[in-house]
Amino acid sequence: MTSILSPATPASRRTPPRAPRGLASHGSASLGIVDIAAMLLLALLVIAVLAPALLAPGDPLGTATAQALEGPSLTHWLGTDYLGRDVYTRIVHGARTSLSASAVAVAVGLAGGLALGIVSGYLGGWVDAVVSRLIDVLLSVPGLLLSMVIIVALGFGAINAAIAVGISSIASFARVTRAEVLTVRTSSYVEAAQHQGSSRPRTLIHHILPNAVGPVASLIPLQFGGSIVWISSLSFLGFGAVPPHPEWGLLVAEGRQYLLSAPWLLLAPGAVIVITVLAASHLQGVLGRLRRTTA
Amino acid sequence: MRSRYLVTRILQAVLVVAITYLLTYWVLFALPGDPVANRLDNPQNPVPPGQAKAILEYYNLDQPALLQFLITVGRLLQGDLGYSLGTGRAVSDMLLQGLGSTLLLALAALVVAAVIATGVGLLAVFAPWGPVRSLARLVPTLSLATPSFLIGLLLLQIFSYQLGWVSSLDTESLTSLLLPALTLGIAASPSITQVLIQGLTEANGRPFVRVLRSRGLSHRAIAARHVVRNGSIPALTLLALTIADLLAGSVIVESVFHRAGLGYVTEQAVRSQDGPIVLAVVLLVSSLYSLVNLATDLLYPVIDPRISITESRLGAGAPASRSAQPALTEGA
Repeated sequence: MTSILSPATPASRRTPPRAPRGLASHGSASLGIVDIAAMLLLALLVIAVLAPALLAPGDPLGTATAQALEGPSLTHWLGTDYLGRDVYTRIVHGARTSLSASAVAVAVGLAGGLALGIVSGYLGGWVDAVVSRLIDVLLSVPGLLLSMVIIVALGFGAINAAIAVGISSIASFARVTRAEVLTVRTSSYVEAAQHQGSSRPRTLIHHILPNAVGPVASLIPLQFGGSIVWISSLSFLGFGAVPPHPEWGLLVAEGRQYLLSAPWLLLAPGAVIVITVLAASHLQGVLGRLRRTTA
Repeated sequence: MRSRYLVTRILQAVLVVAITYLLTYWVLFALPGDPVANRLDNPQNPVPPGQAKAILEYYNLDQPALLQFLITVGRLLQGDLGYSLGTGRAVSDMLLQGLGSTLLLALAALVVAAVIATGVGLLAVFAPWGPVRSLARLVPTLSLATPSFLIGLLLLQIFSYQLGWVSSLDTESLTSLLLPALTLGIAASPSITQVLIQGLTEANGRPFVRVLRSRGLSHRAIAARHVVRNGSIPALTLLALTIADLLAGSVIVESVFHRAGLGYVTEQAVRSQDGPIVLAVVLLVSSLYSLVNLATDLLYPVIDPRISITESRLGAGAPASRSAQPALTEGA
């Protein structure tokens, strides 16, 4: 399958580079208004994770049944749910569960993927063959199904869902790492280092890793966004975070019964998920542009 | 050479499915936390003692793990997928019951995904107006950022509750397939769209386009006759491989639309930690994926004669195979 793009690659190199089209066309490294908005949003989310009370001083679990299912108002910005809990407060406090679970997922995927990718790319031979088959295996089961298998084994809960999603994303990190290590390993500076008597571990740590890690790291925002969607899906199904604690997917699941009478219960957390993932993927684009201009 | 390649590829596919089965079995049954024992000890949903004894005997829980596995594989080769821990019914019966409706859903979703990818992809590359191209490039990013359960609930809200076009209760008729297929199709489309945009852009920048243009062919003719044919092969592969994703995605979509298919069976199995069913679903989906993967690999030289078989000795880094993260950025 590798070959499918190979006839095209040399041809595309021959064509002169064309100016990028669309939104990405404004200044190569300067930040546009969308970039700044995305970063501001991500900064707000960091605050929501570290100190949610700063943004929403209320109690996310405090019920007030007299005020149940109220529409958005000045006192309740995003309305209240069926127990009278403030939806805005619950979303802000839910950020901690959702985002830290996604962070755990990315950390697991990154650690596993780096380890597998480096070992297979650097050692080559039968190790590479074994790891490549393992990656094939991981890819042959759709991520959602794979994470559900792991959840069956580990049990329900936000952390277990995060670990499950992390394990399911190892394959993609491993593939990129392996490809990078393979490229860097054959570069002239690595050869030079080896000729100067650099030992294998030293070559790996001082020469190959720093040069291979960039593209892998640039996967992180994207994987983070993907993990948010993924973990919220698992929570929506009831395999992740446990109620009454707020979690974004769980909030949508709680809101689905009130789709008709109180649509804000579903729309507000849903919109937050979408906007957060968009911001994360936008950050990916910004980082990519910065990397290209500095490289 | 050719037949040797064929045999190697088939063996490789079988090996991947076998390892997947082995690892899944290990994760589900051999790790501490025995699902069979858990199920039998569950006080909320007691199993009658006679049935419990039959289950214990069937799964040979007094035997060592390796022997248990070998017995399970032996039964698998005879077509016995085991029995559900939750309902006690044969796993194969439960899967077959749900498979029809889910396959129909998956195929309909595949069509939806193909239509979306083609429409958006063509707009993104060939639309004569710049802003339309940029907007089309945003579509996959946006749909990738929207969880499928949200898409489903929104469609349900708009078309079922607000407009009243389709009943939300009816799950039998063909019109009831519309919203679930749309949901699943939208959810599966972004990576295909992105790969198509990439392929078309790349093909559009190749020298033959300028040669054809200099010979006086219209842009439209070049696009329709040459660029699309050259640039859509990776997207076609990905579309084929998506079928496995669609089966997995049916878990969420069937939950949203209350359809009783394979996804529902899987969801219930995960909820009740019903190992044998989960194992069988993984086996089914992974076999399907490997089969489609094998078929597309073998069909490459037929579709595109430039690709010789010796060239396509694939490593793991195949660009067109499914991965969880297609480039999400607008410009890519």
